[in-house]
Amino acid sequence: MRSKRLLALSVVLCLVVVAGMLPLAACGPTAEKTLKIGMTTPSSGPAAEKGSPMGHANLDCIKYVNEELGGVDGHQIEVLWLDNGYDAAKAATIVKRFIDEDCLFFTTASSGMMSAMMELANRDYFPGISSFSSPVLTHPPRHIYGQTPDYGDDWAAFARYFMDNIWKGPGKPRMAMHLLNNPTGYGARDAARALADDFGIEIDFDNWVFEHATTTTSEIASLTTILDDDIDILYISSTPAPTSIIIKNAVELGMFPDMLIGCGHASFTKALIDLAGADVVEGVYGVYPTVDWDDDVPGLAKVIEYCKKEHPNDYGNMDYIISWAQSLIAVEILRLAVQNAGIENLTPQVVEEQGFKKLKDFDVGGLHGPVTYSPGDNRLSKSVRVFQIKGGAITPVSGWVEAPLVKYEEYDWFGK
Amino acid sequence: MDLPAGTRNYTYAQDMAILRTRTHWFLFVLLLVAIFTAPLYWGNYWLGVANLIGITIIAAIGLNILTGYCGQLSIGHAGFIAVGAYTSAVLTERLGLPFPVGLISAGITAGLVGMLFGIPSLRVKGFYLAISTIAAQFIIIWVINHWTGVTGGFVGMRVPYASIGGLVFKSESSQFYLIIGITCLTVFFAKNLARTRAGRAFVAIRDNDLAAEVMGISLFRYKLMAFFIGCFFAGISGSLLAHWIGYMNAEHFSLTTSILYIGMIIIGGLGTALGPILGVVFLKLLDQLLTVQLVPFLESTFTALPAGFATGIAPMVFGLVIVLFLILEPRGLAHRWQLFKAAYRLWPFSY
Amino acid sequence: MAELLQFVITGLTVGMVYALIAMGFVLVWKSSGVANLALGQLVLLSSWFTYGMLVQVGMPLWAGFIVVLIFAVLLGWVIERFILRPLIAQPILSLITVTLGVAYFIQGVVVFIWPASVAALPRLFPVEPLHVGPAVVSQQYVWAAVISLALFGALSLFFRYHKMGIAMRATADDQRAVQACGIPVTRIFSRSWMVACVLAAVGGVLMSSIGGITFGLVETGLKAFSVVILGGLDSFLGAVIAGPIIGLAENLGAGYLTPLTWPGVREVIPFIIIIIVMFVRPYGLFGEERIERI
Repeated sequence: MRSKRLLALSVVLCLVVVAGMLPLAACGPTAEKTLKIGMTTPSSGPAAEKGSPMGHANLDCIKYVNEELGGVDGHQIEVLWLDNGYDAAKAATIVKRFIDEDCLFFTTASSGMMSAMMELANRDYFPGISSFSSPVLTHPPRHIYGQTPDYGDDWAAFARYFMDNIWKGPGKPRMAMHLLNNPTGYGARDAARALADDFGIEIDFDNWVFEHATTTTSEIASLTTILDDDIDILYISSTPAPTSIIIKNAVELGMFPDMLIGCGHASFTKALIDLAGADVVEGVYGVYPTVDWDDDVPGLAKVIEYCKKEHPNDYGNMDYIISWAQSLIAVEILRLAVQNAGIENLTPQVVEEQGFKKLKDFDVGGLHGPVTYSPGDNRLSKSVRVFQIKGGAITPVSGWVEAPLVKYEEYDWFGK
Repeated sequence: MDLPAGTRNYTYAQDMAILRTRTHWFLFVLLLVAIFTAPLYWGNYWLGVANLIGITIIAAIGLNILTGYCGQLSIGHAGFIAVGAYTSAVLTERLGLPFPVGLISAGITAGLVGMLFGIPSLRVKGFYLAISTIAAQFIIIWVINHWTGVTGGFVGMRVPYASIGGLVFKSESSQFYLIIGITCLTVFFAKNLARTRAGRAFVAIRDNDLAAEVMGISLFRYKLMAFFIGCFFAGISGSLLAHWIGYMNAEHFSLTTSILYIGMIIIGGLGTALGPILGVVFLKLLDQLLTVQLVPFLESTFTALPAGFATGIAPMVFGLVIVLFLILEPRGLAHRWQLFKAAYRLWPFSY
Repeated sequence: MAELLQFVITGLTVGMVYALIAMGFVLVWKSSGVANLALGQLVLLSSWFTYGMLVQVGMPLWAGFIVVLIFAVLLGWVIERFILRPLIAQPILSLITVTLGVAYFIQGVVVFIWPASVAALPRLFPVEPLHVGPAVVSQQYVWAAVISLALFGALSLFFRYHKMGIAMRATADDQRAVQACGIPVTRIFSRSWMVACVLAAVGGVLMSSIGGITFGLVETGLKAFSVVILGGLDSFLGAVIAGPIIGLAENLGAGYLTPLTWPGVREVIPFIIIIIVMFVRPYGLFGEERIERI
């Protein structure tokens, strides 16, 4: 009886051990000479509305490059695409898997997820690009690069445009800010702190800078406190829903349209017009880092073609354009690396030195500003365009405005 | 506990033993060997998943002591984990103190904060207490987000590697040993806690706290002790989490996380020592499989799926699993395991 | 002074909307003793369904609302029948947790059917704000307050005088006695959940017309908890009074405290109120104190 039981136990144990071996089998050896990169997007979870089209765009563009352009110099690009569900711990496991499976670099969509992954990536000298950036990712500059300007850059570019083209004087304009209670909002505040004096804008950080949550239903209280302060312009760095509420409240209090309103790119989408009503947001300014689907730039033709063919539901989604451009940048990085170092010698560090850092004036088909790496500045594209809502549509009012580099790490209030 | 047929207890020590028969000891040693040699054949990714599971188990055990053994419903556990994570991060990064100090202080700070927010448990129970723990979580997260001088505010802060003495836990496998080691200690502690005076007091309080007080168990002392112990482990778990990810941000600790913890201990089996382990492993693996493996698979094979399909599937499955477990097997996986063991021992008469 | 008036008016009107959602919670608690933690998600689901009917299918307003109400009734029936009825005798922890599971599930369903995370309802009320002295208040808020008060009145009368209302109160008191009297307890649970879902739907529509349909509706559901705790878990009057109090506290805090302390202090005020209430008067302003006997 006892030996029979021990036998049964051993059988069960062997099964358990075999089950433990399965992960090993899953991480099998890779195929022949392909260029392997890792891509992760929050395609499920709270950010799925942005993450899902971005994942689609990443893969569609790589498919386009592999099929129509023959890959990079004839080498196919292999993508390991994983969904991080906007969960930091899962993102951490994903970046470890990328490193494990010999990816050359990785891309992500969200700055929040990148901040969860960046320590691990930086420790292993594993470079990565994030579509949406924030100062903490790129300052101090290590191995993480931002594809589009961050929310601080939005403010800086808008302020530059405002001072050059809209403000006629006399004296300094008085600016109030309304910030979302996360890096989207505080990125703008940090840029304002660093640059307001340089631009000649007056901002009272104690009384004219407000914070709100995504769930706010009314900002009348906060706007009432500046009703008598003669504010010239209100800058809102947030997402569409709270921005629509703030603008509506400003209209109710009679502040807008006498006072100007400018928005960061996170809220400046069609959703804002739908939520607030086209008549309410008439005349609101905003910035955006990419072109629109209706614009006339060479790169859009393929975007539209593949979007309609593979993921027709994503047509019209601005984030699709950003991720398509991100894949184009990834392809260019690989091309530069292969050209400069040869395909046999590629490791993540080599790709960073010979690919990332050799990016110069790369034009992503006009989809957003040109992509250049400058030493000390891990932002790959630094310009946005300024738009204004006219007649219920977002119309461009400027060309590419470049945001200056702010060395946040030199300010002792950074990160505080 | 159920013993195999033919084993008799002749001494108190035998009666109270956790590992009673030679088979138990054999299996236990085998399990330990299997776990501690895992880094030899698992790659970094699966070790990372195992680390995450270990960290979650420690916090879940804390919650199990608080809610399962002592009956104090707490839906704010993620907040206490955050307290531990930030305490450890701030002490090691900003003040430069060594990691063991950070780890223990994280536990103690979280325990004290837990005790503070547990004071309402002396006046209310059940749902009221649940709401006050939810409020506690929001307040904690708000303070973390706004105390920028110390915690880096919304932007977050870097956390250095864990290190004891000169040994830096840099690689995944070294972190694995650290985390699994602490997890084993925690499990051992929790299993024995149930057998001590305090553990029995907890169970008495859970079953009927008025009767317990009448019997002479000081509710004040034991309820607060339960909060302290439960949140102490949350703090330890938070500290390990902070050093494992390397970057701390309050976004990691949402209400959804707290709800998931409750789900984990319920699915695993409330008030058992094995419950948290089973619940965590089950849910975390399900989570990892669903999102990291299944969603990309679905997306790439069925590109014509409606947009919301892949993204909505995970929460739907989770919610459904929690609901089904509560309806069909409210005593959790641990109970199923007991039934399985009993059936196995009584076979072929297991009905 | 003008500022104070503005804060007060905004706070009162916003608070009435919280009170409306809180009443749905109180209803379920009063009649079945179940804490409905899926409240926020029910609000979210009904709002999205309204959007679906009004915008995607294109129904006229009156038809859309009737469909939404029918949907809410069905939803309440389904939840009670298939999820809560099997758990009738289980300890409170299971009941609370199953509503958490339902909340999670509903969130997944919402994302599944309507993947966009933000949407706008067609305009239900005119945009012109009303002027009360120097202060302004948006018509949406006023309408929301009026509707909440009307529903409160209807509910109170229902519970006081209508046969079903009295039966619900009796069931909350002692289920077995009610069964001994021959009242079908399960039907009572069913009805109370249906009405609670209708309340959540109305609250959702009102809130979405104010701020659009976002996941923030779930957080507003959490604020409704603070209303419920302050007012007392089993009191409609408590909900109606505590709602404006919380709204006032939020807005006054936002207006006066923010320059003194950190910005954003407004977000945490409802939760601090919960903790204070727990310490000082756990059963709320109007709640019944529970006396337990061994």
